[in-house]
Amino acid sequence: MKRTAAALAALLATTGVASAEGVLNLYNWGNYTSPELLEKFKAETGITVTLTEFDSNDTALAKVDAGGHGFDLVVPSHSYVPIWMEKGLTVPLDLARLPNHANIAPEWRDLDWDPGRANSIPWQWGSVGMGVNTAVYGGDINTSAIFLETPPELVGKINVVPEMVDVVNLAIMYVGGAPCTEDTEVLKKARDLLVAAKPNWIAMDYGATERLSNNDWAASVNWNGSTMRARLANPPVAFGYPREGYPMFMDNVMLLADAQNVDEAYLFMDFIMLPENAAMISAFARYANGIAGSEAFMPEDMKTAPEVVTPEEHKAAGVFLPVCSQQAQEYVTAIWTELLK
Amino acid sequence: MAERGFQATRLPGFAATAVIVFVALYAPILTLVVYSFNATNSISNWAGFSFDWYVKAWNNEAVKDAALRSLVLATMAATIATTVATMAALGTTRRRAYRGQTFIYVVINQPLMVPEIVTAVALLIVFGVMKQATGYQGLGWLVAAHAAFCTPFAYLPIRARLEGMDLTLEAAAADLYASPWQAFRHVTLPLMFPGILAGFMLAFVISLDDVVITEFVKSAGQETLSTYMLGQLRRAFTPEVNAISTALLAFTVLLLLGFFFLTRKRE
Repeated sequence: MKRTAAALAALLATTGVASAEGVLNLYNWGNYTSPELLEKFKAETGITVTLTEFDSNDTALAKVDAGGHGFDLVVPSHSYVPIWMEKGLTVPLDLARLPNHANIAPEWRDLDWDPGRANSIPWQWGSVGMGVNTAVYGGDINTSAIFLETPPELVGKINVVPEMVDVVNLAIMYVGGAPCTEDTEVLKKARDLLVAAKPNWIAMDYGATERLSNNDWAASVNWNGSTMRARLANPPVAFGYPREGYPMFMDNVMLLADAQNVDEAYLFMDFIMLPENAAMISAFARYANGIAGSEAFMPEDMKTAPEVVTPEEHKAAGVFLPVCSQQAQEYVTAIWTELLK
Repeated sequence: MAERGFQATRLPGFAATAVIVFVALYAPILTLVVYSFNATNSISNWAGFSFDWYVKAWNNEAVKDAALRSLVLATMAATIATTVATMAALGTTRRRAYRGQTFIYVVINQPLMVPEIVTAVALLIVFGVMKQATGYQGLGWLVAAHAAFCTPFAYLPIRARLEGMDLTLEAAAADLYASPWQAFRHVTLPLMFPGILAGFMLAFVISLDDVVITEFVKSAGQETLSTYMLGQLRRAFTPEVNAISTALLAFTVLLLLGFFFLTRKRE
């Protein structure tokens, strides 16, 4: 019995989190962190990064908020960055310790959710648009009309990802409103359009990479990185950036207020803002990263990919959805509920 | 011959219903297994047979690390749960019926009734406070959580086994001058052992499969195989996940087969 107890104690000790020098605990989305990146970081600094994964912003927030989590860095989406700051779960960055902060591309330096990039640094970003098989539909794909006023060729063949905020705001922007609007006339128009369009959709589901690849679906409201993977498997697939406005997202690295390995965390943040290292992040997860000059280090198929490198003429229509007012959120939820009926 | 009683197997449509149920139960799993051998990175487009994804999963450090942690965790949790469940089962069955018996059964089996997410959130809050107070962030928290919800699963087969054993067995042992300990060691324990083993295996499998509670209780670096797979959801699944699932499935089936043979042996 004693021996078993000793063995158990030994196991407990070895599987616990080491608190010695040279470790870093990163809390990131699942399947989002390049293992080669962590290996390179270890080779250069001797710091071992322990990666723990989450599956939603809410899980991550709830776990860290509960305390005693043991993480140093977390990677929330842009709309959650202000929440982490307001709750005091993360701390402002000491920019003097991040010389590579200067590598952040100009358009990612000053943002509504983090003015001056004082609290977060870029991990990856992407867009929500129209993934369309151009062999089925040869018309204009840079418009939300693809799913809101579906062309006859795509009726019964188009999917809409079940992302409430993105889908409803695509419709609001299509009818000329601003995201988070409280203008009931605009909201009514958006709602009517969505409800009228729904019979034309084949599904409201995830998994567009697969189904665009194997021609189960001819189109889908979809993310750019996913559409790129579908195109690599099925060349007629293309990504449309709705000119009426389309949502963008960005995941950002933040330093936790109760981080135990602060020095290591700064080293890591600075490390991933070097273009060649940022390119490794993109090469793994297939989204752009927001670090100027990283394109040169990306795999060939990404350097010129129109899904990753947003064409100049489509940049202006991209919008980072803010965290809406309570009233606006209720409207969006009400529209979504009606749509799902 | 006409005097035979009610038999479900002779109802009209019995065979058809059975076939439909088995197809519904096993077709998705079969699909998952088939595509784990796919040659390309698609989980729905067949492009030829290969073991590539098994090799990939096997060489994936994150998968290996998570798998090892899952096994260590399940072994420890199942050991504790089975010990506790054995004691509980002895306490609740080796005696005449008593007042409050049903109440005690309900208390022991309560984790089976409570939605998992409720337990998970409760543990998140309580362990959060305790982790901060103690500074300990090791695997112990997960072991404690898993042992707790595995206990009723271990308890059920052990209790079932004990209820099938005559209460007079211990009395007979005592009549033959066996001390209470000797009666337990040489009569009760050997007879209930298949139940204990079955309980252990059930607890082990339940711990291995758990996602929700683990996701909420895990500390930094404590990915298990199940939470690792959940993390793959946001991006495209590749047949690597199928390969891991198939391996996990095969392992679970082996354990359940063991469970089956152990419980059958002495009937």
